Amino acid sequence: MTALLRRHPLLPLGVLFGAFLLLAPTFTGRGTQNDLWNMAFFVVLAAAWNLLGGFAGQVSLGYSAFVGIGAYTTVLLSKAGWSPWLTLPVGAALAVAFSVAVGLPTFRLRGPYFTIATIGVGEAVRVIASGLEFTGGSSGLRMPAGTFDFLANYYAMVGLALATLVLVAWLTQHAFGLALEAIRQDIDGAEALGVHSTQVKLQAHAISSALVALAGGLFATNFQYISPGSVFDFRLSLTIVLMPIIGGMGTLTGPVLGAMLFSILQIKLLASPALRDSYLFIYGGLLIVVMLFEPRGIMGLLERLWTRLARRQVPAVAESPGAG
Amino acid sequence: MPVESGPILVVSSVSKRFGGLLALDSVSFEVQPGEIFSVIGPNGAGKTTLFSCMVGAVTPSSGSVRFLGEELAGLRNDQIVVRGLVRTHQIVKPFRDMTVADNIRVGVLYGRLRLRGAKARERVDEVLSRTELGHRAGVRAGVLSIGELKRLEIARALATGPAVLCLDEVMGGLNPAEIQQAMALVRALRDGGLTILMIEHHVHAVAGLSDRLVVLNFGKKIAEGRPAEALRDPAVVAAYLGDETEVRV
Repeated sequence: MTALLRRHPLLPLGVLFGAFLLLAPTFTGRGTQNDLWNMAFFVVLAAAWNLLGGFAGQVSLGYSAFVGIGAYTTVLLSKAGWSPWLTLPVGAALAVAFSVAVGLPTFRLRGPYFTIATIGVGEAVRVIASGLEFTGGSSGLRMPAGTFDFLANYYAMVGLALATLVLVAWLTQHAFGLALEAIRQDIDGAEALGVHSTQVKLQAHAISSALVALAGGLFATNFQYISPGSVFDFRLSLTIVLMPIIGGMGTLTGPVLGAMLFSILQIKLLASPALRDSYLFIYGGLLIVVMLFEPRGIMGLLERLWTRLARRQVPAVAESPGAG
Repeated sequence: MPVESGPILVVSSVSKRFGGLLALDSVSFEVQPGEIFSVIGPNGAGKTTLFSCMVGAVTPSSGSVRFLGEELAGLRNDQIVVRGLVRTHQIVKPFRDMTVADNIRVGVLYGRLRLRGAKARERVDEVLSRTELGHRAGVRAGVLSIGELKRLEIARALATGPAVLCLDEVMGGLNPAEIQQAMALVRALRDGGLTILMIEHHVHAVAGLSDRLVVLNFGKKIAEGRPAEALRDPAVVAAYLGDETEVRV
């Protein structure tokens, strides 16, 4: 227990916040709950992306494809008479299949070349979804009536966010996490020690795409209407990447902080008409600030503050015996 | 030692072409189990390329490498490591933001042994003490000295549990005391049952340690045999010092 606390000093805070999210519907209004739902949605996206992008260093700019696959699976199967809940695992399975199909060719590319390829994949999926008849083309699809249940959806999304964090924490504490770390730091060095890099990357891609697709399915049920412009949007892919980068890539807490910041920003920005169209400008500005002053994001900033505080306290403790 | 007395590693007619450059020209040799076998030659002779071809980090243009009776052509680097043929890198490849112990743990978890749990921890500690890195276990690899980095490079390869360990210039950049330490380590590893292949510039170390060696020059094997004989071969002397006509001009 103490070892766990030493590894994750913010754990008690996280448990408290998780409890707050789960109990929030008993004492908050619907507006606040909507905001919290949105935050949990972003936490899932950011933390899941971080498994491949942060820990393994494979920056993908095509993750809206998985949101879309989950969302479209849920709507299409619900229209065919399925219960929306039963559509979620199907969407996750399709996302896993797609992540492998995309990963096999693109994981042969390294660094920025991989990133560029994922932009192409994300855009291709959007264009295909806009052109096909059964996906409703560019006008999108509506969920069948009677599938809306905000409270159930809220608990599902918060539960998914907490489960995602527990899963990422568990994976990165074990052999798998060490392999991801090795691949990020030196992929040739990792292979020279027996790590099958393509397999490990495919596994990380599959796990994170499944989580993102589950969130996509819940998104569709909650908003009741989806279109290529909402779930296959490149700006969504960009947001998914920016949250962990600004929060702190390759850490457990970073993407959560990034997601909280983004959901607050989005709520504030969407509320004021003057700023509504300029949010990408603000995100871009934030990204520049992070890259210039603290490449490890908010987590790096907190760590720096922490060590500075600790350093100020250490001399005081060392001096006290001499003074006494 | 294996009961059968055949070679543990057979390199036959391995060639590697980079565009117009023939980096390796039909190189062949055999390594016996328990040997310390050196590959020497001037800069650019193709020694490191040879190691890269053997472990699958680079695909040979032609030729074959057989390890423990199995053909390695077409296997990836990680597949060959899992079979027990491992190399170190002349330009060390530590995971700089990991601790020394975690660097070694990657090899323990993913190499030939694939240990987990308590057995993995024991193996990490064993490798740390054999390579005299125990006191640096919790330190970030990025802050190690060059001598420690070279030892970590050996430690990582050793962690995978190889049958044949290929050492690429592990004594380069070390001071005389560290070279003595490294030579003792190589001898101890062989006495522990490993077969060792070395690329080495340090002639004293090569002559003192190797049972046999091959000499490469411009990608071709120009000599093979026991160190005392091979190092005196006129072709080898010419390759290292240039031949007389060149010297006079």
